[in-house]
Amino acid sequence: MSARGLRGVLIVLTMTGLGVASYLTYVHYAGVMPVCTTGGSCEKVQTSVYAEFAGMPVALIGLLGYVAILALLLRPQSETTRFTAMTFVLIGFAFSAYLTYREVYSIHAICEWCAASALILTVMAPLSVWRFLQGPVSSRSASTLQSSNGDGRGRVPAGP
Amino acid sequence: MTRKQRREQGRRQRRALEQAEAARTLRRKRLRLLGIISALVACGIVLVLIVSAGASKKLTPGSAQSRAAVSDVTTLLRGVPQGGNVLGRATAPVTLQYFGDLQCPVCRSFSTQALPSIVAKWVHTGKLKVEYRSLQTATRDPEVFAAQQLAALAAGKQGKLWNFVETFYREQGEEGSGYVTEGFIAQVARQVPGLDLSRWASDRGNSALAGQVVSDAQAASASGLGGTPAFLIGISGGQMGRLEPSSFTDSAPFDQAIARLVHSTSRP
Repeated sequence: MSARGLRGVLIVLTMTGLGVASYLTYVHYAGVMPVCTTGGSCEKVQTSVYAEFAGMPVALIGLLGYVAILALLLRPQSETTRFTAMTFVLIGFAFSAYLTYREVYSIHAICEWCAASALILTVMAPLSVWRFLQGPVSSRSASTLQSSNGDGRGRVPAGP
Repeated sequence: MTRKQRREQGRRQRRALEQAEAARTLRRKRLRLLGIISALVACGIVLVLIVSAGASKKLTPGSAQSRAAVSDVTTLLRGVPQGGNVLGRATAPVTLQYFGDLQCPVCRSFSTQALPSIVAKWVHTGKLKVEYRSLQTATRDPEVFAAQQLAALAAGKQGKLWNFVETFYREQGEEGSGYVTEGFIAQVARQVPGLDLSRWASDRGNSALAGQVVSDAQAASASGLGGTPAFLIGISGGQMGRLEPSSFTDSAPFDQAIARLVHSTSRP
């Protein structure tokens, strides 16, 4: 997959994740029950003690995380944006894994929305790592994390 | 090739080598950064696990909290007869039915703040008996609810239901954290003095007890009870009526209702 294609896939995935997190954040603050095909298990998870972390609803944390990743993906790309986006995705992936562990072993219920977000991040993790590692290596591109000149495409400011 | 061309070629070759070297360095640097980030994220998650594990308070056997709870319960129940789910003399004229969910924190408050006074004033004197019944509220998982209630009823087969229930209430963990595991239930049982654990374990599978959990739920529903703790009160053997005290942590509203019924039974 080309660098541009990879970036496109990541953007689509982030927007999907953003949609899920937005819905769950709305559900939390509106006090409504989430749409759930598995009976009451979504509600069980959303109202559990693990649905909040450091005083913040986990859905909101996810929402902010996805917004940050999307912002990083939409900007003109550089070594810095690729690295930072990868970092955020890895943090999101690890946190989702922890929450899934809690669903299975502590709450004994799975919320399909949370599972969807976890799946999205699981796919995004290797993609964003790959994109970072396979970034342009020509000396014309930003070969350090200090500059942000865009990818090695000559004078074109924005690139994949 | 001319000298100029040779120089050009040399320069090109050198530049190509430099670029290749730079590319290698860059790749190594990226891998190193990835390694650092991955290690940091992994440490972060371990930290999160440690911090959140503290939230789902796990009771350690022999801890100060455990000993205090057992001591409290022993004091509360000293000298009071128990049988099945009943606390107090079977011949007591007034019956109070206490519908609770072992994971419900408000029930815990009632048990620790209002119940001791009720036991001292009315149960010790043989005027009142309290029956413990179950109604699922705080417990999220119906299987866990059944397991914990059956554990209590099984202790009741050895006349120690109230030790089990009152110890459980005093050792509740954080609501909704999934702390009631098989291990937790067994640990509560181990703190019931004189409980025959193997007999208790087999009684947990008693189908009559399982039927009791079901009939408790039906009775609660029939009386329109929605939350816990919930109370029915009446003359022993007679019709039970709903008691809605103004407070769960003060015995005064209970005293009033009990006193009224006790006086009605002592009338000729």
